[in-house]
Amino acid sequence: MKDLKHLIWFENLLQTANNALVKEAKEAGGVCVAYTCENVPEPLMNLDRAFSIRLFAPNTGSLDVATYYMTAFLCETSRALLERAIEGGFNFADCVVSPDGCTMINRCVENMELLHTMGRDNGRFFHEYMEIPLKADENGLALYVLQCKNHVLAPLREHYGVDISDASIRRAAAEHNRVCELIRAIGEFRKEENPRITGYEFHVLTLATYVCPKRLVIDRLAETLEELKAREPDKKPWRARVALVGSEIDDSGLIKLIEETGAYVCADRFCFGSLPGRDPIALTEEEDALTQICRQYMYRCQCPRMMNMEKVYGRKEYVSKIAREYRADGVIYEQVKFCDPWAYERTLGASMLREDYGFPVLSIDRPYNAAASSGQLRTRVQAFVESIEIKRLKRGGAV
Amino acid sequence: MIRQEDWKRPGDQQLGVLFDGGKVRRRREWRGVRDTLYDYGRWLYIMSILAKFIVKPRNVKAMFRYRWMANYLAVPHMVDKFTMGLRDEALRIVHTSMDFVVFDVAKTMDNVFRGDRKTGNDEAYSAKCVLTDENAMTAFMMGFPTVKAILREVPTMFVANLLTQNSTTHYLDVAQQFGIPGDVCPMPEAEAGISIEDDFPVLGTCAVQVNTTCDGSLMCNGIIAKRLEREYGIPTFQLVAPMRHREDDVQDYAAQDIRAAIAFIEEHTGEKWDWANYFECAKRVNEATRTRLAWLDINATPYPQFVGAPFSLYNDTNYMGNCGRSPDFPPIDRKLLKYAERGYAAKRMMAPEYRHRAIIWGVQPQYCIDMLNWMVHCWGIVPLTDMLSLVNTKLIAEEDTPENREQAYYDMAWLNENMIMRNRTHGGYKVLVDELWDFCGQLNADMVIMWEHMSCKALTGMHGQFEEQARARGIHLVWVCHDLCDPRVYTRQAIRDQLNAYMRTVMREEPLDPSIEVLPDENAW
Repeated sequence: MKDLKHLIWFENLLQTANNALVKEAKEAGGVCVAYTCENVPEPLMNLDRAFSIRLFAPNTGSLDVATYYMTAFLCETSRALLERAIEGGFNFADCVVSPDGCTMINRCVENMELLHTMGRDNGRFFHEYMEIPLKADENGLALYVLQCKNHVLAPLREHYGVDISDASIRRAAAEHNRVCELIRAIGEFRKEENPRITGYEFHVLTLATYVCPKRLVIDRLAETLEELKAREPDKKPWRARVALVGSEIDDSGLIKLIEETGAYVCADRFCFGSLPGRDPIALTEEEDALTQICRQYMYRCQCPRMMNMEKVYGRKEYVSKIAREYRADGVIYEQVKFCDPWAYERTLGASMLREDYGFPVLSIDRPYNAAASSGQLRTRVQAFVESIEIKRLKRGGAV
Repeated sequence: MIRQEDWKRPGDQQLGVLFDGGKVRRRREWRGVRDTLYDYGRWLYIMSILAKFIVKPRNVKAMFRYRWMANYLAVPHMVDKFTMGLRDEALRIVHTSMDFVVFDVAKTMDNVFRGDRKTGNDEAYSAKCVLTDENAMTAFMMGFPTVKAILREVPTMFVANLLTQNSTTHYLDVAQQFGIPGDVCPMPEAEAGISIEDDFPVLGTCAVQVNTTCDGSLMCNGIIAKRLEREYGIPTFQLVAPMRHREDDVQDYAAQDIRAAIAFIEEHTGEKWDWANYFECAKRVNEATRTRLAWLDINATPYPQFVGAPFSLYNDTNYMGNCGRSPDFPPIDRKLLKYAERGYAAKRMMAPEYRHRAIIWGVQPQYCIDMLNWMVHCWGIVPLTDMLSLVNTKLIAEEDTPENREQAYYDMAWLNENMIMRNRTHGGYKVLVDELWDFCGQLNADMVIMWEHMSCKALTGMHGQFEEQARARGIHLVWVCHDLCDPRVYTRQAIRDQLNAYMRTVMREEPLDPSIEVLPDENAW
């Protein structure tokens, strides 16, 4: 296929956390709200002149210092983030909002705080830790709203004078929705028999919407959408279509690696993916915007730490639903090595998707930086693709 | 350091003579006539508990049905591990506490098998049982006097691993064959393995699970609940304990979920919440809290009395598994306090000198928890208390008034949030790191034995902070790494050797009893 006009621009944005758009937004007087978990409602961090940046650590190499602070048994994401923070890679942040979600990311941020890795020259800098619901119900919603008020909105107003009014929240939600609509429209092309966008390209675009100020990527996303409408897909068919499910993927190289084996990544159900992370938020006038946003975040949440059984079963149902909707031949469950929530979720998910929903499933753990284990990962995905092809042959279909 | 020049121990002096590398010891310890007779009498008492348990046909059936039941042959041996080298009040304190734990676990197991569909199958009894997690505070059962709370993971996993070191290895293998990685905490992983192999007793009309100690524990619940719900038709409720439990803005949330849990139990058991019973239990909870604080007061003096693994295990049982529900505990509490006060008045010591006063932090190696007793005799390090015993110190409302009925939900939530271990592993670094140094001050400790359970991410995530802050405060921090209940990763001697190496190379000390510096107990239960 012909290269997307802005792909290199988007790829370059993913080479460092303090990318060109972050600098641009800061120079324009923006307040950078850094965060680490998809359970913090994004619109609330994009009010007024505030903009949200999801912390990530591209091109991670050595984790030695973070490993000293947190040992080798903590997940590589948490160690990569801490290492990058100690290196000074997140010094652009004006505050950090972190839910006490998974233990390891929480410890990572606590170490950042104790080591004073950020905000040394900023007297207004703050760390906030949120409690987020463990179950989706009305009690959880009340907590969610209160926590967002106490740990996101109030500190932003208090420290930086950010406008946290209902109108401001609605404006932020509208901008958020614009990004979501663009990403979802681009993602729709993945349902095609012969898709006009690769999973890798889609991941680059999606990840950029999390790690860059949203308002600064909208134009290029819209242009890319128009470009895609006229793009001619390659004639060569993919060997298999897979839904990728699991913990956060900050390294688009992993998607590229999977696709190099002939498996098309047609659906992305992982932390900070587009499903459901880029579902638009529908707001009405009947209720305040904050409550509506929290409700939609809570009920759509696919995070494994949500522990009520409706959620436990619902997560597998959701994977099955998107796998069928995006016409996946199989499901790849992945986790960052040493991630406890996804260790269990991928085990139970792999078992249920295989036995209850009839999907071929590959279950893998992986390093934060896919390049660190590319040979092993490639072999496993290749074997999975071949097993799907063999199943297809046995059913009498063509390879 | 404190030393008693006239200290003497009747009977065996060199404790290493008891070990010969076999499954059990070479012989029983000679403690002088008085204490040997006392110890032997308690041994007979334990045998009588086991005999009463095993004469019931359903329990014999269970012995053949459940793989983990074989571990219970080692009960007397387990108690011997905790009494090694002890005399006088210390011996009586351990027997009083641990023998009662044995009695309580035997009762729990008898209850479990009575209702178990695979053995006793008493359906009417089972209909009045509620399954709860091993690590759950049972506060939400304080108002259900006619409903049994069944902590079925306690006998299957938690206690089994105290008894025999290899009790979990098979179930860990089962879980890992199913696909769970080997790097998660082995305790919930072993529980998942038991469920996957269908080796849990099945009873109860419903189950209440809690996000107890860690992400692994929370996630394991899903695997267990799926089997309970879909295979056995036992509905489950997931009770929330907030992570940031010290924050005011999570307490309404926690209290509301207690209300929901109670409503769930009422719905499935047909029983109504009994406030009178609740407040009776609350009185016992408060008495237990006061007594625990009194024990700790004594441990802050130069002559600590109720220490080590029995202190921890008895508190686990009383504080969390019982949570004021049984009237059997307060008399035991009082008896233990009496022994502790008597021992303190007589300035009793377990070893001729106490060189170091240590707080035990982190999560214990379940199969080597008797190391706390060993280190008193081997190195003169007295374990003043441990992280799991530093739990709630607030008194809860105990008078039945309309205001207190509302307050009761917050009290139950508070207890639930402050279940052992998770009250330190969750709640931010202040409760885990900062408060440790406070306790060192309160208990006059100069040393921290840091159980570093390698798969416990909440603890190891603060590794560097512990190290740097201890150094800054001049506290000796001894890392003792282990894998909780998997002796294949760290053997018992490998665990003890970490302390041996520290004492010899950093502290430049020689052991009090060199015969136990290396114990040939690798083959022992």
